[in-house]
Amino acid sequence: MADFGKLSPFQVDPAIVEGLSLSPDDFSPASEGEKENMVEKRKSVSYWRDAARRFKANTVSMVALFIFLCCLVFAFIGPKLIPYSYGDQYRSSQKLGPMEYSKGEALIKAASANFDSFYATGLQAGSITAITKGNYFIEYKGNTYAFTAEKAMEGVIVGFLKGQADPVIVKEADVDPATGAIAAWAPLETTGDPAEGATQLKLVKGVFPHVFGTDSVGRDLMARTMYGARVSILIGLMAALIVLIIGSIYGAISGLAGGTVDFIMMRIVELIYSIPEVLIVLLLQVVLKDPLQEWMDHSDTWLAHAASALGSGIISIFITFALLYWVTMARIVRGQVLQLRKQEYVTAAVALGAGNGRIIKRHLLPNCVGALVITTCLQIPSAIFLESFLSFLGLGVSAPMASLGSLCSDALQTITLYPYRLIYPAVILTVIVLTLNLVGDGLRDALDPRLKK
Amino acid sequence: MIIYILKRIGAALLTLLVIMSITFFLMNAIPGSPFLTEKSTPQQIELANKKYGLDKPLIVQLKNYVVNYLKGDLGTSLKMQEGTPVKDIIFHQGKFILSIKLGLWSLAIAVLIGIPLGCIAAYNRGSWLDGFLRVMTTVGVAIPTFVLATLLLATFAVKLGWLDTISGSLESAKSMIMPILSMSFYYICYVAKLTRTSMLDAINQDYIRTARAKGVKRNIIILKHALRNSLIPVITYLGPVTAGIITGSFVVESTFSIPGLGKYYVQCVMSRDYPVIMATTVVLSALVIFMNLVVDVAYKVVDPRITLTNKED
Repeated sequence: MADFGKLSPFQVDPAIVEGLSLSPDDFSPASEGEKENMVEKRKSVSYWRDAARRFKANTVSMVALFIFLCCLVFAFIGPKLIPYSYGDQYRSSQKLGPMEYSKGEALIKAASANFDSFYATGLQAGSITAITKGNYFIEYKGNTYAFTAEKAMEGVIVGFLKGQADPVIVKEADVDPATGAIAAWAPLETTGDPAEGATQLKLVKGVFPHVFGTDSVGRDLMARTMYGARVSILIGLMAALIVLIIGSIYGAISGLAGGTVDFIMMRIVELIYSIPEVLIVLLLQVVLKDPLQEWMDHSDTWLAHAASALGSGIISIFITFALLYWVTMARIVRGQVLQLRKQEYVTAAVALGAGNGRIIKRHLLPNCVGALVITTCLQIPSAIFLESFLSFLGLGVSAPMASLGSLCSDALQTITLYPYRLIYPAVILTVIVLTLNLVGDGLRDALDPRLKK
Repeated sequence: MIIYILKRIGAALLTLLVIMSITFFLMNAIPGSPFLTEKSTPQQIELANKKYGLDKPLIVQLKNYVVNYLKGDLGTSLKMQEGTPVKDIIFHQGKFILSIKLGLWSLAIAVLIGIPLGCIAAYNRGSWLDGFLRVMTTVGVAIPTFVLATLLLATFAVKLGWLDTISGSLESAKSMIMPILSMSFYYICYVAKLTRTSMLDAINQDYIRTARAKGVKRNIIILKHALRNSLIPVITYLGPVTAGIITGSFVVESTFSIPGLGKYYVQCVMSRDYPVIMATTVVLSALVIFMNLVVDVAYKVVDPRITLTNKED
């Protein structure tokens, strides 16, 4: 090696070399106290916990969430609490206003003060409100009382008067409409065990009011509104789920594949995006109705059974969403994937030898999920909007099923006489959409604080 | 710029072609024939099919549609107004004009009320007025058009009797109030929300502070500096608004008994009048696509920094 003298780049000051030579004795184990300093005292806050904290701090969103949960209770638990069902028609209870009783109901209500528990034919749904010829039994305080009706009985109340242990039968004609005083009653002849195939008569304590009134064929409007809210919410959820699945798969493939595939896939998205959806939706609704009905009537698969339970209107709404509404989601997911793929931590992971699966699972998905949750949440109210719009035009769900939109549509026919019929479903629809919007906004602020509207 | 516009027109024509094909195949997927009634015999149906060219293969029928449309021939109605040229139904019976009138008014009201409301809210940020407007706009975007329309109808026409339940051909200002309000309310609220947000963004910019430091009058700052810069997101939104207003017209025209194109479209779809469905779909789609094009060009005018060609990424 040539001697470069003092200028040699490889020459190091011997004093520095001296200082760098370390012996094992220079190291000693850390003391307990020193170790303690290294332990993380505070648990690291996970992304979700952090988001939850931010969401909880947002008063508006929390209130909206609470109100939305109330709507859920109303829609899903409510129907179990009231004695009326969405499809049952109560004869002689047509066109009642909110909290109104029909003549018959008022009579039974007055008489009910004398009863402990009773069964009134006047409160039953159906075309013939009578106890027909046959075997019946009632259950009261753990005992079963069976009896046989020799002939059909109309306008009777079967039950237990206050302070009496044996069942009696009272004719409605023997009840004073004003005071509810019972002029005459006859003991019910009972036997011990109910005969084979006997029908149970469910006893009630009083007359449940029609809180929202009834419609023109005597269906309880509160029961229908509850049912309609349930249908609307489920449609919203399902549609959002469909959009989420199709949109994210399509977007992810497009974003990850890149190149020509991405180009073609995005041109297709643009094309669908520029189609005015509502025109196609209307067409689809009409087009799909008959073939769907045909398929549901003749196919014997579980899918067809599930579909026929929902009705062709709802199924065509789902198909519409699956065909047209996923494009926004696909665009968002593709954008996210493209953006995230360029991030340094992904490059670092690639450099460290992580495979595709790990990168997707560990880096892309967790960072995408915020955007997915937000978009899905905001998709629900828009699906509810669309469904109610279609039902309003008479294309969505069909009677006796109900959705909030179809209830509004029904109410419009009689708006001049019974304006309250519109108010209840309309208000609940608005509240559901409003609270979902606010919860979605809150989620966006919580999950993606950088994102500004 | 010209090349861009030409490209967009090309893409628009392609989209229209796709829409025509989709509509065509959807219409033909409807089982049964438009001529099928209780009285018609198979021979009569065959004859009618032959007369209107429905016996030819589907692809030939589609080609005929496209060729005829290019020539400006929209065909004749099969059912709704049998034998009348579709062109006359759409353009010469006042339906199109009526719907356009309703739509343009609603669009204008949405912009002319929405933007000032947004500005007022942004400039009085945190005040009771801002709070009130925020509540109004948040609730406003949650009310479906048909609910608002029927509520207005129930209140002002039925209960108070100030306005007519049937708006008819929108000849008087009185008959226009409710339809236009119910159609534009959602968009007033949305535009106001959008304007407020982007206005607040703009107000915090350095150039506003500079202008204020120079002693420029408050009104001039709002109009010249803040508003102009905050209009871009609002303009972007006007494309979807057009599509939305067409949607709204289906409901509003049905609710207020306005004999416009929206109401007619729903009736046509239900009665399967193929040529009318096709023509109406194409005309309405063309309208929406054209509006989107106008919006994209308007972008460029408002903000010369935007380069139209790379706007995708």
